[in-house]
Formats: sequence, C-alpha cells, structure tokens
Amino acid sequence: MFSHEMKEKIKQFAKEQAPYYLEEAEMTYMEKLRRKTGEAKSKMMAKLAKFKSRSETAMEAQNDMILYMSDYMKDLMEQGLSEQEAFERAKEELKFRSETTKSADLQERIFAYYNNFDPADYEAIGLFYGAFVFLGLSIGALVGFIGSGGWEMFLSGGWIRTLIGAVVGVLIGVGMGLLSHAVIVLKRKK
Amino acid sequence: MLKGILEGIVLEIISRGEIYGYEITKKLHALGFQGIAEATVYALLLRLEKNKLVHITKKPSDMGPPRKFYTLNERGFEELAAFWAKWDFLSERIHLLRTNGGEKNV
Repeated sequence: MFSHEMKEKIKQFAKEQAPYYLEEAEMTYMEKLRRKTGEAKSKMMAKLAKFKSRSETAMEAQNDMILYMSDYMKDLMEQGLSEQEAFERAKEELKFRSETTKSADLQERIFAYYNNFDPADYEAIGLFYGAFVFLGLSIGALVGFIGSGGWEMFLSGGWIRTLIGAVVGVLIGVGMGLLSHAVIVLKRKK
Repeated sequence: MLKGILEGIVLEIISRGEIYGYEITKKLHALGFQGIAEATVYALLLRLEKNKLVHITKKPSDMGPPRKFYTLNERGFEELAAFWAKWDFLSERIHLLRTNGGEKNV
C-alpha cells in the first residue's frame, strides 16, 4: 500500500522513537516492583540495563511501532489524507512526549530535597558565619593591636599589625564558618 | 481522568478475544474515546506485555514484520478482575456520595 520511500521513513521513525517507549514501559514496571518489594534500585537498574541491551527486544518494539503506525496511516488515508499527510500526522501523534527515566529520577530527587528542606538549617549556617567572622575580627585585631605595642605604637606604624590581625581573624572566622556549614550538611545527609 | 482506567478498559477489550494493536484503538474510538492519543495506546500495549499480562501470537503482515495478536493470560485475567473489583467499589462509593452525600443509612 505504501511507497518504498514511505516504508523507509516509517522504519526510521520507529527506530528513533520506539526505544523511548520501551524505556518508559520498563520504568513503570520497575516502579511497581520497587513499591511492592522495596528492592534496591541498583538491582533493578542492572536488570533494566540487561533488558535494554537485548537488541531483539528493541527490534520487536520497533516492529510493533511500524505496524501500529502503518495501520494508523492506512486509516487516515481512507479518510482522504495523502500518504505524506498521513505520515506527518502519524509522526506527530506517535512522537514520544512522556518523561524519561532520567527526568523522573531528577524529579524524585528535587522532590526529596524540598521535602527535607528546613529554613532553620540555613539560619543556623548564617549565624555561624556571622559569629565566627565577628569573633575572628575581634580577636585578630586585638592580638595585632597588643602585639604591635598597644596604643603608643598604634599611631606610629602599629596600626598595620592591627589591620593584618583583623584580616587574618576574618579569614579564620570564614574558615570556621565553612567547617560549621560542612558539619550541618553532613548531619542532614544522615 | 482516564489515567489508570484505560488499562482496565484495554484489558477488557483483549479479554473478549484475540486482537491486534491498532484494532484496540479502533474499538476505543468506536466506544467514544476519541480523544485518546495513538501514542497512549501503543505505550499501554508495550506496558501490558512487559508486565506479562498478555499472551502474544505473531502472524505475517503485509508491512514486513509479523503482527502481534494479543490475548489475556492468567495474570491478565487476574488483573482484569482486580480492576473490576476496584471499579465496583469506586462506582458504589461515588453513587453513595452523589445520592446520600456519603452516608450509608440515610
């Protein structure tokens, strides 16, 4: 019924699109199993990888799509569409639009992140940074001031040591803030 | 609205006798489900196969690859029975909600 060129176009389309459907079908199967048995995701992913690697399955999915598309095109042509118009319409209808496994995974992770998100953690992190910076600045400046010889020496060049002490103090404060941040993040991860 | 229900409808169609993919779509259209995308039915059939709910027989086609004909296997019939049980429950509750506002003894 179709021209040779059209048959090739249909085959090409099926070759491109069928793997997406196959992936989604397996993902749904995987999700169901995971819900029922609680098996580790890695185990299922290994199974999925093994399944996908079997080219026979991929070829079968392509063949299914070729036949499905052909039937649909024949139907459209019986309704008065030309071969090319029917192909364009079938291509548009059968083009895979659903989310892929990767995007589903990413969505799960984003959902989990916002589900566990606690503003108090970020408030605590900010307070740690502020507190350590102020402490470092005060201690560093004081050590520099005293170390340079106190008030008498401050105006005649001792201010530079006070300034260095303050800068070092701020740096130490930021470092301590980073450490606190890391500890909070690690605790949240557990 | 059809999400989840469509699988039950397709299982019921297949349970009535051997049928191939696009024929199912045509049955759905004849039933009035015109809005169902072609891709939805194709994806659903693939999923039924992967979930081992159907038995497949291949027959030659004029397009080259063999055509798959579906029938329900034992697991498919069990799934279909579960679907109708859920449907009956849902239907009864919705009817109850609509007529008595959800109260059984009113």
